[in-house]
Amino acid sequence: MTRLRRRKNRPSPDTLLSPEGVPLTLRVAGIGVRLAAQIIDVAITFTAVLCIMILLGLLNLTNPQTYFAIGAMLFFLIRVPYYIATELVWNGQTLGKRVLKIKVVGHDGRSLTTHAIVLRNLMKEAEIFLPGTLLFTLDATTPLVSLLSFGWIVMAFLIPLFSPHRQRLGDLLAGTHVIHLPVPVLLKDLVHDAPSLGQDARDHVFLAHQLDHYGAFELQTLEGLLRVDERQMSSAAFNHHRKTLAEIIEKIRRKIGYANPVPPAEQMAFLKAFYAAQRAHLEQRQLFGDRRADKHHATGDRKT
Amino acid sequence: MLQTPLGTTGLLRSARFRAEREADWRLLEKLVTEAERRGLHRMEFAAARDLAASYRRATTSLAIAREISLDRALLMYLEALTARAYLCVYAPQERLGGLVRRFFTTSAPQAMRRSSVFILIGFLCMGLGALTGYLLYFENEAWYFVFLPADLAGGRTPEATTPYLRSVIYDSNPDHSGLGAFATFLFSHNTRIAIFVFGLGVFLCAPAIMLTFYNGLSVGAIMALHVDRGLGLDMGGWLSVHGVTEISAICIACGGGVQLGAAILFPGALSRREALQRAGRDAVKLALVAAVMLLVAALLEGFLRQLVQDMTIRYAIGWGIGALWLAWILLAGRSRA
Repeated sequence: MTRLRRRKNRPSPDTLLSPEGVPLTLRVAGIGVRLAAQIIDVAITFTAVLCIMILLGLLNLTNPQTYFAIGAMLFFLIRVPYYIATELVWNGQTLGKRVLKIKVVGHDGRSLTTHAIVLRNLMKEAEIFLPGTLLFTLDATTPLVSLLSFGWIVMAFLIPLFSPHRQRLGDLLAGTHVIHLPVPVLLKDLVHDAPSLGQDARDHVFLAHQLDHYGAFELQTLEGLLRVDERQMSSAAFNHHRKTLAEIIEKIRRKIGYANPVPPAEQMAFLKAFYAAQRAHLEQRQLFGDRRADKHHATGDRKT
Repeated sequence: MLQTPLGTTGLLRSARFRAEREADWRLLEKLVTEAERRGLHRMEFAAARDLAASYRRATTSLAIAREISLDRALLMYLEALTARAYLCVYAPQERLGGLVRRFFTTSAPQAMRRSSVFILIGFLCMGLGALTGYLLYFENEAWYFVFLPADLAGGRTPEATTPYLRSVIYDSNPDHSGLGAFATFLFSHNTRIAIFVFGLGVFLCAPAIMLTFYNGLSVGAIMALHVDRGLGLDMGGWLSVHGVTEISAICIACGGGVQLGAAILFPGALSRREALQRAGRDAVKLALVAAVMLLVAALLEGFLRQLVQDMTIRYAIGWGIGALWLAWILLAGRSRA
């Protein structure tokens, strides 16, 4: 019971405390996208190995018996420095990670150290690649070793599944995890528009008690709805959208007791005016220490 | 004059907040993009300084916005922007070249000296294993087959004739040298042993110690076989060329593994995970040193061993290189006090 509660109280794995003491949101990358990045990296290094092998073959430096051994050696000698060098130069991103826009970060919010990068990439060898090569080299003759290395790989893949930060063994040891790079896009402020509504906006006036019904969640849901670009919709979608708007307006009117009917032409204006008024109200309440997460904010108070 | 539902100013506090700072955020966005594309160390001094200052202002903005604004677009933008800038500002400031040099001149030898106890444990395991293998062979030759799997022995069994054993030691077979042999030797039995010895150390030391001991057993047994046939010195020379480096590498890898296992067994005042992370700092350097040594050993085995057929020179090369390793570990990276 206490354990369950503790798990709930734990901060979300997506937040990282920066050295400035401001928690930042960096979404943890899942196993799928990391595997895809790995595949890209392996493809790159493997292509390099193939090129060198062909070159060696042309120079008559190889023979069929040693082909596999030389290939494995080259792959190893290219792969290990590749991961370490790229992650060092590009601050926690290999080429595959750059393509898929994911990145390694220090688990404690401090910058990545060289040690961490070297450690997590060497552990990758021990976790995946070496048992993997072992699996390739020893097949039918030594079932026990193959089985052991297979079990080891399965375990290495299972560990991230049970970690909230999707850390593999190397991440755990190095104190790192992998995140999605956030993309900063600044949309225009909806309230900024409100004055430009001019005549219409003046018609929609809300009283303080009418704005006490909703909380931040409803406000931001409405924001999402208002940000939908109507110009890019097909006519069917546009009609559907308009119908939704009408229904929402009806609901709001009933809830807050807004008497005047809203004609279809003024729907957007009404919603924008309501959004602006509601946001002003909620932000003001928040400044006074009254944070309203959603429409259920009042139920707790009513009892007292 | 427009009259809005918001009051006389026409703007919310949060909207004013945004309007006042938006230019600064845009600047930060530009600087971050530049830093990500070109790298922080190639940016102009003024730009880098602005980036740091602007980043700190943006974190403040984010903290304030979380308190006063309910505009989700603004919050999400600031979250993403500060996170992105944070990743730029707190990037490792390390150059690759300096890194390699520092590893070899200071950090690796220092780490080796710090964990000398663990490395000695590694050598002790190997030595005891070799001694046991040696003695057990003389007790009963059948032990040989227990310690050395057939594919590893490569025909060098107690049944083999003495001339055959000699021919393996002094053999300049051309298809066993060069690049192919180098690769084969690098990924031979011993490299795998070294990797497992290091990696398995995490499981409470036991597998690392056992594997090292087992490896010692086979070395002891193979030596015993040759001593039995009066080829002890010759075998020693054959083994010395690469063995001094290679077996030391396994012992050092074992030292690293034991260090990790010891951190889990005896974490002291730290939590087990913290202790493991702390032990990892030196253990990884040990593993890297072992890897370099294995590489050198494979070079010696692949190229040099077949070229040098004289026993004394073989001894000289093997132990000379061993002495160089020792000198590097003991002397490099000491600060001139």
